Amino acid sequence: MASSEAIIRGSPVLDPDTLLMLQVRDDSAEAFEQLVVRYQTRLLTVLEHLCGNRTQAEDLAQEVFLRVYRARKRYVPGAKFSTWLFKIANNVASNARRSRRRRREVNLVGRESGPLGARPLDKLAQAASGLMPTRRLDKAEIVEAVQLAMQSLNDRQRMVVLLSKFEEMSYTDIADTMGMTTPAIKSLLFRARGQLRTILEPYLNEGQLPPGEE
Amino acid sequence: MNDPRREPEAASGEDAQLVAYLDGELDDESRAALERRLGDDAPFRQRLQQLQQVWDVLDVLPRATADESFTRTTLELAVVRDAGQAARPPGGGRLWAGPRLRRLATLAVAGLAGYLVVAVAVQRPQRQMLRDLPVIENLDVYQYVDSVEFLRMLEREGLFPPEEHDVP
Repeated sequence: MASSEAIIRGSPVLDPDTLLMLQVRDDSAEAFEQLVVRYQTRLLTVLEHLCGNRTQAEDLAQEVFLRVYRARKRYVPGAKFSTWLFKIANNVASNARRSRRRRREVNLVGRESGPLGARPLDKLAQAASGLMPTRRLDKAEIVEAVQLAMQSLNDRQRMVVLLSKFEEMSYTDIADTMGMTTPAIKSLLFRARGQLRTILEPYLNEGQLPPGEE
Repeated sequence: MNDPRREPEAASGEDAQLVAYLDGELDDESRAALERRLGDDAPFRQRLQQLQQVWDVLDVLPRATADESFTRTTLELAVVRDAGQAARPPGGGRLWAGPRLRRLATLAVAGLAGYLVVAVAVQRPQRQMLRDLPVIENLDVYQYVDSVEFLRMLEREGLFPPEEHDVP
């Protein structure tokens, strides 16, 4: 396999993280530490919103970095490093979801506490339908409402929104990350945004939420 | 079987165009046409603003933070596990087999040590009782004696025949 220096000389357009990964491939612990420091918060943010649980997000993020390190000798610079990293993250998260389903664990999506109280998604739906009187939202409730709206998305929709919003990935990069076609990503994102709009728009316009959840 | 790469159906319609516009995914020609319409069509423009508003509100979602401890444990985990994997002979089993065996061995040693401690603790009173057995057996007789010195004097006089069980 060619050394990282030879690859760098032969490829004028490599992103800095890919260059770091090539050093990791050559067993540079410092380069690996730099990559971890650069990506850990981004990865944790996506994984935490994806699985709704900080502890699990940390476990998954460490598993992702572990896989990156284990795969270093086979690493071939192709797509952007971030795309490769989040592709691994998507696989790790999918595997974890499958394992959870097999173990029949309780899904955290249906949380029943917080500013919106019990069965908050039902209340958001009622608000969207205009059946309930309203009151002004505070900051914590806006965060809670947006989190609940995100959790109302299916796993793929949530991932595509997170990659687009937080990672500012193009449709092509998201498609590469998730192993789908670009038109499929466009459609998935469109539907996800539609779902978010249906839930959030009715009271975002007015800045209001259902009452009784002081 | 469904091919995930083909799902879902392609988006179409005005909202899909607006979303693609907001995401910077339209080609130059489509973008120019859409911007011309936005200039002329107020409801269309309002629709764009609504889509943008919902997208912008996602900014309230908290960003995770990672402390130094997370970084350190991640690095240690990667390097240690990788080293463990490299040190294992080919076909030597799964990654966790080495550490698992070590944990089992540690448990076995700890269990054996615990057994020995308990066994010694249990035997100690029994040994003491065995040493005191001659006294216990003759306790009724000793109750009539005022002092040990008097007993020793009788022994020196050859009053007590030797008995086998006097020595523990």
